[in-house]
Amino acid sequence: MALRESSTKAGRNANLALVTGTAEDDGNVAHGTVLAALAEAVARWQWDVAADLRRTAAKRLGAQATSDAILVAAGFNGITRVADAIGIRLDARTAEASVALRQETGIDAFAHAGKWAAG
Amino acid sequence: MENRYAEAELPVAAGTAAAHDAALAAFAQPGAWWSGADRLAIVEAARSAHAREAPAPAAEDDAGALPPAAIEAIDGIRNRSGQIGRSWFDNLIDMGLPREAYMEIASLVASSVIVDTFAQGLDLDQPKLPAATAGEPSFESATDVVDAGAWLPIAAKGSANILRSLGLVPSASALFFGTFTPSYYMTPKSRFALSRPQVELVAARVSAANECFY
Repeated sequence: MALRESSTKAGRNANLALVTGTAEDDGNVAHGTVLAALAEAVARWQWDVAADLRRTAAKRLGAQATSDAILVAAGFNGITRVADAIGIRLDARTAEASVALRQETGIDAFAHAGKWAAG
Repeated sequence: MENRYAEAELPVAAGTAAAHDAALAAFAQPGAWWSGADRLAIVEAARSAHAREAPAPAAEDDAGALPPAAIEAIDGIRNRSGQIGRSWFDNLIDMGLPREAYMEIASLVASSVIVDTFAQGLDLDQPKLPAATAGEPSFESATDVVDAGAWLPIAAKGSANILRSLGLVPSASALFFGTFTPSYYMTPKSRFALSRPQVELVAARVSAANECFY
């Protein structure tokens, strides 16, 4: 969740529209469009779509980078479930690292009204 | 041991294969609140629960003797984790599911999601599960936990809340983070053939797809 922070360190501010799938180009992240699309297809278990994107990514980024992208996506497909299953709150360290991302992508809206409110 | 991903079209580090092998082996071992057979039934139920894009028949027949509250927990965590809320969790506890048993389910489902998602992302089948190991659960419940506003107590010590989230059941925490570690910058030796912004983009896009606010 440190996309803005890490891209700034790398000298190019990532366009956070990549996160919501609304970017019109690679958004200052090398091969950002194909990576974001592959991540989403893997997260949603859309295997036919993922297969096409995997081949495209392998041609553009290389085999190891594509494998690593799938590995990261698989890991976050698990850790998001832990976060939501335990109902953890945002800690200061994570909030600080993701403040721009939250403001610009509407991620805070995922903390819906019933998340912590007892029935 | 041979790298389980040796047949994949894309290369996979031996350390990743080893971590996933360890997870698969751990699924079959007696856990904190569930037996080895129960834990395999939880993973099987998670696998047979309807995927978001291709609904499948209900999983009850595949889930052995798991209680209804466990089946509901598995389904909620696997299929609609972004929508579940405090009242849903409270209802499971009211149905008689011990909170530590719920936490162990969360760890098992999330760990199996990692292993299965990765294999299928590489165009491989879901890995076969080992036979259950006999034995009794340990019924562990950590005492060095704190109320940090989550549905369950989290580890008293640690940095980010996510890393403390499964602290009530240390073996559940060890299983999940052992499975997750190859997928992110969890150790000083973590390396990827992607730049840091590329890794963070993938992580953020998955979080958004799963409607996870954390």
